[in-house]
Amino acid sequence: MAEIGAQQMVEGIPPLGSPNIPTTAPEGGDVQILASGWRLALREFFSNRLAIVGLGVLVFFVVFSFAGPLFYHTNQSLTNPLTGDLAPSWGHVVGTDDNGFDELGRMMAGGQTALEIGFFAAFMATVIGTLYGALSGLAGGIVDAVLMRFVDILLSIPLLFIVLVLATRYSATVVSQSLIIGLFSWQIPARLVRGEVLTLRERDFVAATRIMGGTQTRLIIRHLIPNALSVVIVNITFLIADSILLIAYLGFLGFGLSYPIASWGDMLGNAQNAVTSGYWWLVFPVGGCLVLVVMACNLVGDALRDAFDVRLRRR
Amino acid sequence: MTGYIVRRCIAALIIAIGVTAVVYALLAFTGGSPAVAALGTHANRYTIAAWNKTHGYDRPLVVQIASYISNLVQFKFGYSYKQGQSVGALLNENAGRTAYLSGTALVLALLIAIPLGIAQAVKRNSPGDYIATTATFTLYSMPSFFLGLILIQIFALDLHVFPALVSDNVTTTWEAVTHPMQLTLPIVTLAGLTVAGFSRYMRSSALDVLAQDYIRLARAKGLAERFVLTRHLLRNACLPIITLVGLSIPGLLAGNIITEGLFNYPGLGLLFFDSLQNLDYPVLLAYTVIGGVLTVIGNLIADIAVTVADPRIRVG
Repeated sequence: MAEIGAQQMVEGIPPLGSPNIPTTAPEGGDVQILASGWRLALREFFSNRLAIVGLGVLVFFVVFSFAGPLFYHTNQSLTNPLTGDLAPSWGHVVGTDDNGFDELGRMMAGGQTALEIGFFAAFMATVIGTLYGALSGLAGGIVDAVLMRFVDILLSIPLLFIVLVLATRYSATVVSQSLIIGLFSWQIPARLVRGEVLTLRERDFVAATRIMGGTQTRLIIRHLIPNALSVVIVNITFLIADSILLIAYLGFLGFGLSYPIASWGDMLGNAQNAVTSGYWWLVFPVGGCLVLVVMACNLVGDALRDAFDVRLRRR
Repeated sequence: MTGYIVRRCIAALIIAIGVTAVVYALLAFTGGSPAVAALGTHANRYTIAAWNKTHGYDRPLVVQIASYISNLVQFKFGYSYKQGQSVGALLNENAGRTAYLSGTALVLALLIAIPLGIAQAVKRNSPGDYIATTATFTLYSMPSFFLGLILIQIFALDLHVFPALVSDNVTTTWEAVTHPMQLTLPIVTLAGLTVAGFSRYMRSSALDVLAQDYIRLARAKGLAERFVLTRHLLRNACLPIITLVGLSIPGLLAGNIITEGLFNYPGLGLLFFDSLQNLDYPVLLAYTVIGGVLTVIGNLIADIAVTVADPRIRVG
């Protein structure tokens, strides 16, 4: 019997007298705060080794792209065919491309646009999606149904198709491409936030806030948004990864940023010829950067999801 | 259950109509005027206005959308002025080869992802599981054209096993089917991406099933492990895969554009890519709408298939 009791204790609630748990339930007095949910999530996140690796890779690429050109000066505006397609050497660590641009310098410049577009598009999609989802969830009824059918419709249109078609129409700058991607990838955050708001609406602490006379604004700002925020934050990392991939697809197909702005996708646009000509340095270093950045975003996203998911949290 | 299916079909129909309307309106607003495609960029606005009037592009947007949808229902997809033939004929000419590429890639992906996911779940946290997880996670983060480029480098340039480009002689679906060497790299590229998406779900789904009581019961009653895996684990763990196959259609369509462009394989993806460069809007409009409708149909079939396959979620 004693053994069974011990086993139950491990899996279930800690026994009375455990140091972290108040032995008597507070009645009306101060509630003892163990640690805020955010701090617990953060602690959980940083105890995940893969998350640290992902975060490290992201930090590395931010430094590489934005601080790198300060130390590694290259000419990225004047073409020089005479120094084109040079193999890696001490003068050009990753060689030069068709136009005679230093490939490593171009990788840094391309990293800037990839990160800028990724962050900006994801941020915009998240803001639009959060507002749309919260509005839909709070409105409920017929308004909610109509708004969500519209999300279903937009979700059914293949994203790459519509982004490609729009990319043929508008000048290709960092801002325009971020806008195109951001305006068409907010459906998932909208669904997530709406779902959160729908469940949160029915929760006891919302009822308690109302009963205690909390205003609607207080309810939204202090309770609904912070509780829905974790889902949004997890999603934003995946959105960044998807946007970076999407912009690479656009560049690869020849609808990327206008010359001479560099992007990793544009650099790979001619990769087919580079590979068959034996210019491996024009393909695999850039492609490797793309894979690493996207993978790092996905790793951080997975770790954040695990950290915020209370059910998965170690006790 | 019939009631559920009928309701689900009506919802899908409404979404499909919505998709058509949104895509049509987007293209109309962003100014892909068919008149410019038909008359050339030097046409003056009077000829354009006259052309719009005779071809019905001066009507209100809602009327245009309604007539476009009524044409779609009769399988009339418009006319490509750049190519001088109907969009329907162009699509029809290329659909077979794309269906073959996507179909084989999907089947190959399922044949890899399902056993892989189950093996990973059964031997979870083993070195093999970690290697497989890392490999699929890397694939998942990789743009498809980069996977294709790696395969070209290794199998076409280093080992000389498969050609780097699909030969120009492959022009019909039949030739595509009968030239497996030509199509191996495109199929593997497209399948690689799909595997990356599927196997993560397959692994976690198999892990969930392994924790169920009926697996414990099957083992407790002395059932041989291979029957536990095939009869109990496989059938239950594959349920989420039904949904995933339905959801994989947009990914496959997008993958087609990239893969066909990379390997120069004549299909719908390459047609779309060429139309982008020619600004051939009737083709772009038709293929985007078809892609959206296929996505809706994929979701619908997946939803119905899951209700049929899983008695637990059978409704009313």
